[in-house]
Amino acid sequence: MTKAGIDLQLGFETALQNLGLGAGAAHALWMPLPMLLLIIAATLGVMVMTWLERKISAAAQQRIGPNMAGPQGVLIPIADGIKLLTKEDVLPILADPVLFTLGPILVFLPVFLCYLVVPFGQNLLISNIAIGVFFLIATSSVQPIGLLMSGYGSNNKYSLLGGLRAAAQSISYELPLALSVLAVVLMSNGLDTVGIVEQQSGLGILSWNVWRQPIGFVIFLISALAETERIPFDLPEAEEELVAGYQTEYSGMKFALFYLGSYANLLLASLIAAVLYLGGWSFVVPVETIAALAGIPLDNPFLQIGAAALGIVMTMVKAFIFIFLAILLRWTLPRVRIDQLLDLGWKFLLPVSFVNLLLTAALKLAFPTFFGG
Amino acid sequence: MTLGEGVQLVTFVVLSAMAIGFALGVVWAPSIVYSGFLLGGVFLSMAGLYLLLNADFVAAAQVLIYVGAVNVLILFAIMLVNRRYTFAPLKLGWLRNGVTAVVCLGLFALLTAMALNTPWQLEPIQPTSSVLVMGGHFFREYLLPFELASVLLLMALIGAIVLARREFVIPQAGEGDLSLLERARPQLESESERQAELVSTR
Amino acid sequence: MPEAGRETGNRGMLAVDPPHLSWSSSPMDVFAPTGNLYAGAIWPEVVVTLTLLLVLVVDLVGGSAARKSLPALSIFGLIGALVTLVLQWQQPQLESFLGSFAADPISILFRGLVVGTAVLTVMMAERYIAQSGAPTGEFYVLLLTATLGGMFLSGATDLILVFVSLETLGIASYLMAGYTKRDPRSSEAALKYLLIGASSTAIFLYGMSLLYGLSGGQTKLEAIASSMGDAGLAGIIALVLCIGGIGFKLAAVPFHQWTPDVYEGSPTPVVAFLSVGSKAAGFALAVRFLATVFPAMTEEWRAVLSVLAILTMILGNVVAIAQTRLKRLLAYSSIGQAGFVLIGLVAGTEAGYASLIFYLMVYLVMNLGAFLCVTLFSLKTGTDEISEYSGLYQKDPFLTLCLSICLLSLGGLPPLAGFFGKLYLFWAGWQAGAYTLVLVGLVTSVISIYYYVRVVKTIVVKEPQEMSVSVQNYPETNWQAEGMQALRVGLVLTLVATIFAGILSNPLFTLSTQAVEQSPFLGFPTAQAFIPQSARLQVAVKGSLGSSAQTGEG
Repeated sequence: MTKAGIDLQLGFETALQNLGLGAGAAHALWMPLPMLLLIIAATLGVMVMTWLERKISAAAQQRIGPNMAGPQGVLIPIADGIKLLTKEDVLPILADPVLFTLGPILVFLPVFLCYLVVPFGQNLLISNIAIGVFFLIATSSVQPIGLLMSGYGSNNKYSLLGGLRAAAQSISYELPLALSVLAVVLMSNGLDTVGIVEQQSGLGILSWNVWRQPIGFVIFLISALAETERIPFDLPEAEEELVAGYQTEYSGMKFALFYLGSYANLLLASLIAAVLYLGGWSFVVPVETIAALAGIPLDNPFLQIGAAALGIVMTMVKAFIFIFLAILLRWTLPRVRIDQLLDLGWKFLLPVSFVNLLLTAALKLAFPTFFGG
Repeated sequence: MTLGEGVQLVTFVVLSAMAIGFALGVVWAPSIVYSGFLLGGVFLSMAGLYLLLNADFVAAAQVLIYVGAVNVLILFAIMLVNRRYTFAPLKLGWLRNGVTAVVCLGLFALLTAMALNTPWQLEPIQPTSSVLVMGGHFFREYLLPFELASVLLLMALIGAIVLARREFVIPQAGEGDLSLLERARPQLESESERQAELVSTR
Repeated sequence: MPEAGRETGNRGMLAVDPPHLSWSSSPMDVFAPTGNLYAGAIWPEVVVTLTLLLVLVVDLVGGSAARKSLPALSIFGLIGALVTLVLQWQQPQLESFLGSFAADPISILFRGLVVGTAVLTVMMAERYIAQSGAPTGEFYVLLLTATLGGMFLSGATDLILVFVSLETLGIASYLMAGYTKRDPRSSEAALKYLLIGASSTAIFLYGMSLLYGLSGGQTKLEAIASSMGDAGLAGIIALVLCIGGIGFKLAAVPFHQWTPDVYEGSPTPVVAFLSVGSKAAGFALAVRFLATVFPAMTEEWRAVLSVLAILTMILGNVVAIAQTRLKRLLAYSSIGQAGFVLIGLVAGTEAGYASLIFYLMVYLVMNLGAFLCVTLFSLKTGTDEISEYSGLYQKDPFLTLCLSICLLSLGGLPPLAGFFGKLYLFWAGWQAGAYTLVLVGLVTSVISIYYYVRVVKTIVVKEPQEMSVSVQNYPETNWQAEGMQALRVGLVLTLVATIFAGILSNPLFTLSTQAVEQSPFLGFPTAQAFIPQSARLQVAVKGSLGSSAQTGEG
């Protein structure tokens, strides 16, 4: 089982060593590659998402949406990017230049760090660290500092209020989020993301966690929506009250960082939801079963490449289901009030997620075969 | 020295310098907001040092708890309290700073001498997953402190609510107004008040 | 690669799966004394925890009538804990929870002291909290948690448990100190206590981390001592840092600065708990920690502690003279009393430890008695100025009697309990050769008698024109009001105990001597020396009832 799938790193390093390089040098050459790939992939994902957001929003409002830039307006994200890159980078005269600059970076960086542990296949992730999902939760908790920084550094009332709201919202919903993840971890006996997916891969769609963790799944979706500051939880940038919250004073590249960060965060949350609850890269029917039916041995290289490609596609399809859901919710639900937001987080989701955790632990003791003994 | 060791050494030096630099920044920063943000830097550098010691779980917990919760809370408190005091420079302030510096440097020298002269019992770090080791400890020899910590947290929760709760019924001063039953000591009259009184009696 | 590591890690854990931890899922079996955890050792703590949860739930779901029963519920639970402690005395558990906790006789006695303080504090607090309008349920929860922390601290034999229980006690105390939150004095007290407490905890933690490093990663106190060996400079630094942390709990000079302000600003019942319960837990920690971890450095820690003791006795008793408020006076007097108790610790002999425990028992009743009287007086007059007490004798003879007896006993006048306590302490100190300490103790006791008697003299003035305004308007005591009965019971109990604990001190002293002899960590030969030693002490004390100086030499 452990050798299923392809090991790109091993292949790359052996190839380089065959060319006469030392093992250390080969490793040093390998290391930046996945990160580069990741940044490109995430940026591409964000571009696709912005296009989708426009198109789906338009469909929800019975408009056509962007249709001039390229076929179906697919070039609109590129136009967006060029616009943001070439805009003047305004620094308000009374703003704090250091905090103003550092804020967007601190918002953007943790999101990209989190992609380190998102698996697209057995060996298709950057680092399979043992504390996988805990790393994710910990890293994403740095974001509020950046939000506070940009809110304070802008020297603008709306920005400060937006920053404070964002940080409050972020730390309130981190608790139910972490607790619902903990219930999944309880079932998979480990924190690493690969282990979590493998634990769901036995019976195809039947063994996905969504059936065993329905309450946790709903809590996770709500909290993730709040963490990513999407409608109905977009209070930090509520246009009618706060202009644009902590982003009010930003323009050009720094604004682009916020923009990129927020979409990358949504993509990340969707990927994590897919990994935790929808079996990650696994297909509706296990690949092993298909291979056995077709009579192909598991170590067939074509099968392995096919399985890896299928894994990536499956992960992305599952993630985009959630993205679609988030965009649809944006045009369906009104924004909540700040007190409703905090009440929902602290008085409803938190107790329910505790109950869910206790329930999972009890079920695990009672039915160890179904709940990961 | 292999590549790994070199990387470790450089990382250690960088992280330590960061931790010390941020800590100095916390003390010396002119604005308390800067101090708050720099504190986050100290915590992050400490998390990096934990990572170097193979304590990945502790490092992540450090980030989650200290940066994600404690530091954010401190920043919240700073940003919600918008008081600006101008402190008059203390008389002989340089003397205080000097004495503090001497005491701190003396302590530092003492601790350095101690750290260098002591034959520490060193053990190589076992490269096992720290989560499993910690879980084992929690439910074996540290079971009792682990359980007591739950009572501690419950009490802290209740205490925080007691302190933060808004009292809807505010009785008249005197009985049951949530103050000590012993009367406060009568305030000493200040010079200006006495002057005012003298004027009025005249 | 990480995958492989995880696999082996998993297998490793399964391989060493300890059979003694595989409890059955039934909750009753968890505390079965047959298990290798020996979880029966914490029955008293379990009783306190259950009471705590019960109080919380009753406060949450019960109506106002149910809330009135909370103090009774707490007292009931605490007395239940006392009963389990008495039962445990029959079968002490020298090691439990794989070496985290010891229920040896000394730990049982100290836990009894903490629980006893909590009982009297609840009696004191019921009326006080009701009259100050603060929420009641949470107060008892905090008090019970502090009690729990003190109890665990008394028996902790593991650095981690020491730290967690110290924090449980500490944080609950900070919260209780600030309980009357609309009063700026109370908030100030809580803040000062928190800040100084946090820094002293940090110091203690630094010391503990040094111990952890010196012993090569041990956290059990005994294992640290055995694997530390001769630690040199690092050992001394660790010792000093640990004494600093413990000294804060004992309020020993120079770690006492928080005491006066905290005692003045906190609600009186909380002060009572801090001055006795918290201090007793601190002494339990000091005895166990110093005797177990630093046997190789006995000379050093005795030297440090004797300096602390001398400073504490002198400062506490001298500054107390200048106080005009009774709560503040009791604060300084409690600093001085801690100095006296330190003599027993410095002596380090069997008699020294025994007299330390005995004095703490006596101190519990007399100090809490004094605080009960202060509480009653401030409930009725709203002040604790000493000058406002003048003439109280004519309006409330019962209160006068209680307060005078307790204060005189604190001063150490015969034949009250405090006299015998001090006598044992000084005698043990003299036997151990701590002459300077004993002389300082004698002189400062005389000073302390002065300021205690001054209060008593104020109370019993004869002339009606010297009566203070508060006493002139002194209301009739309504013993039927909520919480007054409990206060009265507490007063009578402490009064009787203060009078008779001295004359009938033999059983108490036997108890403490027995505890010292049967607790192996102190390292005294058990059983055989027990009867003659105790008898000799009794003879020595009885023979010198008239003049304490002779006893000192004998």
